[in-house]
Amino acid sequence: ACFSLLPSPPVIKKKVCRSCPNAALIRWESGNTNPVDSYTVELGEISRERSETAVTESIVGIPTYESIIQLLSGRSYLIYVRAVNIGGPSERSDPVIIYTTGGTLFHLNEETAHPSLAISEDGFTMFYGDEYTELNDITLSDNAFSRCVAIMGELIPIRGKHYWEVEVEEHTEYRIGVAYEDTQRNGYLGANNTSWCMRHVMTPSRHKYEFLHNGSTPDIRITMHPKRIGVSLDYETGKLAFFNTDLSQHIYTYKCHFLHYVHPCFALEKPGALTVHNGIEAPEYITFS
Amino acid sequence: MALTLVSSNKCFDGFQKVFEHDSTELKCKMRFGIYLPPKAEGGKCPVLYWLSGLTCTEQNFITKAGSQQEAAEHGIIIVSPDTSPRGCNIEGEDESWDFGTGAGFYVNATEDQWKVNYRMYSYITEELPHLINSNFPADSERMSISGHSMGGHGALICALKNPGKYKSVSAFAPICNPMQCPWGQKAFSGYLGSDKSKWESYDATVLVSAYSGPQLDILIDQGRDDQFLAAGQLLPDNFIAACTEKKIPVVFRLQQVCILILSLVFV
Repeated sequence: ACFSLLPSPPVIKKKVCRSCPNAALIRWESGNTNPVDSYTVELGEISRERSETAVTESIVGIPTYESIIQLLSGRSYLIYVRAVNIGGPSERSDPVIIYTTGGTLFHLNEETAHPSLAISEDGFTMFYGDEYTELNDITLSDNAFSRCVAIMGELIPIRGKHYWEVEVEEHTEYRIGVAYEDTQRNGYLGANNTSWCMRHVMTPSRHKYEFLHNGSTPDIRITMHPKRIGVSLDYETGKLAFFNTDLSQHIYTYKCHFLHYVHPCFALEKPGALTVHNGIEAPEYITFS
Repeated sequence: MALTLVSSNKCFDGFQKVFEHDSTELKCKMRFGIYLPPKAEGGKCPVLYWLSGLTCTEQNFITKAGSQQEAAEHGIIIVSPDTSPRGCNIEGEDESWDFGTGAGFYVNATEDQWKVNYRMYSYITEELPHLINSNFPADSERMSISGHSMGGHGALICALKNPGKYKSVSAFAPICNPMQCPWGQKAFSGYLGSDKSKWESYDATVLVSAYSGPQLDILIDQGRDDQFLAAGQLLPDNFIAACTEKKIPVVFRLQQVCILILSLVFV
């Protein structure tokens, strides 16, 4: 007789899971040195009435270390993963809790960060310090921005609507927008045809705002300087819009039919800081952009 | 108040109509265009008042702007009044294209010759909305105003002088600071006399500095190659500076498209 050992449970990488009102992207580590045939995701909705969450759904035969799961909006879920080999399934992993209330949630991918960027412990604030980092001293990963002091978020690759906000100070010089996953890491956000961004810089006389894509921008002037910018992405209508959330004011909308999924991008033009807020439901006025 | 139907055309499943009535403010017969979207058959709709520019009648916007499709889609009534009283037999009313007939400048005139008939400000802000609300399925709580050139000036001053009355205000190539440009100086001295303190209450740039009321959100589109911009008739920079100072939200878009002031191609 031949006895196969059951696999060990996988380990869910909670920090890189992402969600939006209708879906979640769960990623995990194998948790095994021996090969695993497939993975099974199990989930159940957390309900206030029951202290134990029953697993009501199972997705089997997942070949890779991640899965996008369709969910209902406005709920909370407990999600587990099991590894499966010829001997059978492992115990359940530790769960991750996913909320489909309140908007799209994503994290900043520190692998893409320009070396001059420092990220806060909670992972949502980026700092560009005064000390210039000598790039020659560092082995840059292929995935990191090397010129634009930028970082990319990891948005769940699902069509539909996504919304997030960016908090800055009045004089922060930034570029915020979206880019394709493979946007040139040695390029500047908005300077190529794989990225779109709102750019704010200070000139000696005034605030200057640009909406850059492929290096060009319309000529736009605004009188109130946003400290909190709402960014709305709608794959169905092909729109990327920017708002001054303190005033509920629409600033600009790109109309572009994205050929691939895009990720949020953030860059600082000079020393300063910027904070990303997500997991927020898009305010009502956004539907009228 | 009796409305006479002048014309009615089916348009994107709604109706583009033109009516005529005896205006009590202007003491003459006045025409206005009104687009009723399909939704108006089932209930009240918000109303956009569109003010046209120099030399226009109620027809220019209806025939050139192509707004009916959007209005139908979004369920908006669009009212497009004429730009001045007509046939009043005032000496000099037809002498120039930028003063008198077709050039009411949306003020209430105080000079003797003009003060009886040239009351476009009251017509637009009072008589016309009462007429529309009484005769059409208009949601009186949701009115917005927009316009082109002289009409852009009209939209801005109506919104600034009536805080909270309009849900939104926008303008295409507006005359932003009439006190400082040839058109405005000619019109204001003719309608309001030489005392410039009387001109201030019809100048958007001056009104902004004194504005207090609910938050405005102003959108202005301006053609980069507009000859009247170059000629110093429009002066958007003055308006933007005043709004920046007073912290009034404005988005100003300078467009590559050349906006010919007398043609509504861009619209």
